[in-house]
Amino acid sequence: MNRGISGSPNSLLWIFLLLFGFCLSGHAQQPDAAHDIDSGVDDSALWHTYSDKTHVYKFNVSWVVASPDDPDADENSTKPVIGINGKWPLPLMEATVGDRVIVHLLNLLETEPTSLHFHGLYLRNETHMDGPVHVSQCTIPPGSSFTYNFTVNEPGIYWYHSHVHGQYPDGLRGPLIIHDPDDPFADKYSETRLLTVSDWYLDKMPDLIARFMSKANPTGAEPVPDLGLFNDEIDASIMVSPKTTYRFDVINMGAFASVYLWFEGHNMTIIMIDGIYTHPVEANMIYVTPGQRYSFLITTKADGSANFPFVGSMDLSFNPNITGWLIYDEDSNWPDAAKLDGSFNPVDDFDLTPLDDQPLFGEPNQVVHAFFNNITYVPPKVPTLYTVMSSQDLATNPVVYGTYTHSTVLQKDDIVEIVLNNLDPGIHPFHLHGHDFQVVWRSEDDAGTFQDSGITLSDFARVPMRRDTVFVHPNGNLVLRFKADNPGVWLFHCHIEWHVQSGLMATFVEAPLEIQQSLTIPPDHLDVCKKMGVPTGGNAAGNSEDFLNLDGENAPPNRLPDGYVTSAEWPSSDTESEDESNGYFMFTGPGIAALVFSCLTGILGVMTIAWYGFAEEVNDGEDKKVRIEGQQDGAGDVKLRDMPSGSTLVNDRRVHKLRRNETRAKLRGDGLRV
Amino acid sequence: MVSLFSIPIFLVTFREALETAIIVSILLAFIKKTLYRSHRAIYRQLVRQVWLGTSAGLVITLIISGALIGVFYSLGVDQWGARELTYEGAFSLIASLIITAVGFALLRIGKMQDKWKAKIEQSLGEQARQRRTKRGTVMMWLEKYSMFMLPFVTVLREGIEAVVFIAGVSFSAPVTSVPIAVIVGLMVGTGVGLAMYKGGSHTKMKLFLVISTCFLYLVAAGLFSRAVWAFEQEIWQDMVGGGDIAELGSGPGTYDIDKSVWHVDCCSPFVNGGSGWGFLNAVLGWNNSATYGSVISYNVYWIVVITIFMILRYKEVKGHWPFSKKPTPTEEHIGRREESIKIAIGPGSDILCVEGSAAPYVKIEDNISRMV
Repeated sequence: MNRGISGSPNSLLWIFLLLFGFCLSGHAQQPDAAHDIDSGVDDSALWHTYSDKTHVYKFNVSWVVASPDDPDADENSTKPVIGINGKWPLPLMEATVGDRVIVHLLNLLETEPTSLHFHGLYLRNETHMDGPVHVSQCTIPPGSSFTYNFTVNEPGIYWYHSHVHGQYPDGLRGPLIIHDPDDPFADKYSETRLLTVSDWYLDKMPDLIARFMSKANPTGAEPVPDLGLFNDEIDASIMVSPKTTYRFDVINMGAFASVYLWFEGHNMTIIMIDGIYTHPVEANMIYVTPGQRYSFLITTKADGSANFPFVGSMDLSFNPNITGWLIYDEDSNWPDAAKLDGSFNPVDDFDLTPLDDQPLFGEPNQVVHAFFNNITYVPPKVPTLYTVMSSQDLATNPVVYGTYTHSTVLQKDDIVEIVLNNLDPGIHPFHLHGHDFQVVWRSEDDAGTFQDSGITLSDFARVPMRRDTVFVHPNGNLVLRFKADNPGVWLFHCHIEWHVQSGLMATFVEAPLEIQQSLTIPPDHLDVCKKMGVPTGGNAAGNSEDFLNLDGENAPPNRLPDGYVTSAEWPSSDTESEDESNGYFMFTGPGIAALVFSCLTGILGVMTIAWYGFAEEVNDGEDKKVRIEGQQDGAGDVKLRDMPSGSTLVNDRRVHKLRRNETRAKLRGDGLRV
Repeated sequence: MVSLFSIPIFLVTFREALETAIIVSILLAFIKKTLYRSHRAIYRQLVRQVWLGTSAGLVITLIISGALIGVFYSLGVDQWGARELTYEGAFSLIASLIITAVGFALLRIGKMQDKWKAKIEQSLGEQARQRRTKRGTVMMWLEKYSMFMLPFVTVLREGIEAVVFIAGVSFSAPVTSVPIAVIVGLMVGTGVGLAMYKGGSHTKMKLFLVISTCFLYLVAAGLFSRAVWAFEQEIWQDMVGGGDIAELGSGPGTYDIDKSVWHVDCCSPFVNGGSGWGFLNAVLGWNNSATYGSVISYNVYWIVVITIFMILRYKEVKGHWPFSKKPTPTEEHIGRREESIKIAIGPGSDILCVEGSAAPYVKIEDNISRMV
């Protein structure tokens, strides 16, 4: 508790910011609460209140000591995790369709900014409550508070998590359930069970990100999770009674791993995916990517004497299996999970159909092709929503949102088609904020690009599966359609957090002029920008004078220079978007200088050797050791070379020369032809 | 090309073969000078001894070298896999230093001859001295076969030296590149030695030796640079996490961008066997991905070598090292002069053949006392 607050040099500033935040947020919150994280128990009655169909949550976000693999963890044995109100795992948020939800968030993370995103909620006309930083809000700096206030209109299973890049795997993610008074399956089950699944890293994300985003990771290999968790535990157990039908709500809150999930001895009947009711489908196994949710019914056995394991197998090559148990009888043993017979064979979610039988949307007004090619998302200087709000008529011009936000402006009620080609040999779960979408086509592995596949309208699903997070097969393609009926600024991104970090993200600016008319940004939202020094108006480069001038906008680092590509690991560059300017790396100025200089020294060296080699050989035996300088013939420093052997100084040069010739002749006479 | 013919190995073999050839030719010259006219039978016997000794020395050298290299490769290569770059760097460095140390002698072939003349003579004189004092059977045997033993021991010693050098050089190259390079090196070295013995054109020989030496030092400079490069690349590989960077070709991420001076996406000496670029790598140290370390070390190497040659020449011309005191003729110099007399005039002085013994010997003491 209070780590870094007391005694830290910036504690005064910190407390000041804290108080400042409270004043502005205008809620009757006790400033003491900020110092009371550890005694969150005392607060527990207050953190969630409900009246007049409004849920009010008070979330104090702070570092806590908690560890899924060690319940007795202390600060030294585990990484700190991000908890809420001094606790981790995080609380379940619940509401009923039609309710209002208010979250008063106070950032007590000392050094890290934060935010909350409510994954899967449409937030109709409330795009500013969506949570991704630099998209619909500024980051919430340490010591500041921020209020999310929205109505929930869609039943189902959701989750909330930080949308500051790379933060939620450190703990800031929790379940969010919207109850449905008109649940069409209500009479099919008698109880519900929540089951979250998640990968887990024992190192802190900032450290992992530093390694992941480093030049020393040229293949972009994602850090491998250390653990897998059910309900944020290693050995999770779920109590069940015999002969009962349960509704299981599964959320993958992980950062990286998708999970094959099956229950030994039990069948699943899928009834809902990502908040969309489906026609019931029997399944032995499902495949849940990060961000996806599944609800299914399980009817328990009549005989309640044995317990059954359920298994989550992460699609990783290392330490992939998570086991939990359906506990019928607490006194019975917990059997080991059986080895899977054969290969993974999950239900293909593409074959699921929505219960409302919504038909395929008509021909799209706008098709977004080749979506992520060679653009790395980089946050703009001004949150995109605030650019919308400040750019007046220019809001319909995608230029104002910057080059690297990868923004597309959508007209109200357009049918939008997204053609997604995965040029990478990995699975990517793509998530769209503010919408569900129809998945009208999905290829198998290695199908190449959609454009090359010859697939036409007639191949599209008539009643397409709908959800908000869908995976695309390795080197495959995907076609999505949705109706732009929810004005707002919505991200479309891969939900592997590493890929969010590295910029696999794009922005839809949907009906910007309608946003301008319907939306007012609350003062506490603008206030955190002021604290962060982020402008609340202007284009992506922060230019509020000339919205079409993007000078100084944030840009990604240069691509590494191209070269030979011999491995499929490297993304092949698309010919149509090949950009010469960041393409081949040739000799640059210093390189040329270095090469020329090296050549010159080499040549100089060779010349020196040749000079030495061709220089007259001075024979040690004859003259070298007796060579001295003559000084007596008046000629100054005439050198007397080749002193004959054994003699004392001889000053007559002619005698000397004679002697030398004699010596040489003698040598030659030896039969050694020198 | 590079995988079949290692230029450094060729050059080192060539140099060592030439030195051996000089030894043999000096011995043959001795015998011819002293015995060819007077004692034809003994002459033939001694010539045979010289060749026998030389051949025996060569054969044993070859066996030792084969065994050594075989053991080295069979033990080593697999274990080196993980730290291949470190070993490549270390061996390149050793090879570079060896070539640098032995290379310049080719330019002073006369000195090399003098050295061996002196050594052989000293050896013969020693025997003569011992002969007077001791007459054991061992000594008798040694005397009788000294024209066998002398080249045998000398060739063996030179040969093992060469093997060590070649071993040092060869581990920076694939094993397949060794045999042809060694054979060609032996042939060329022997050929040059023969040409010297037969009295070939001095100028042509000089040209040949100078060109060889230039190549020798170009190779050494390249090896030195490559050693530094390999060490740096090893560090980079460790940073990347031990993954096999080679699998990524020579594209982005295969090198440390912060240390790169140039990186061109062609002309790699390593991809696809390197072809012509591999040859340039072996001879000139070319690399398509140059680092600050590799460029600076290349230039530093040359500056050092140039300085050494300047100093050597200075010493030759001035008779003393730069910045040292000029020598004056003192007792010490007179003493040294005696030695030089011996070298200069040795072969031409009396060589006696004692009856009952096949071994010639030189009355060194007499010679010296007479001359001084």
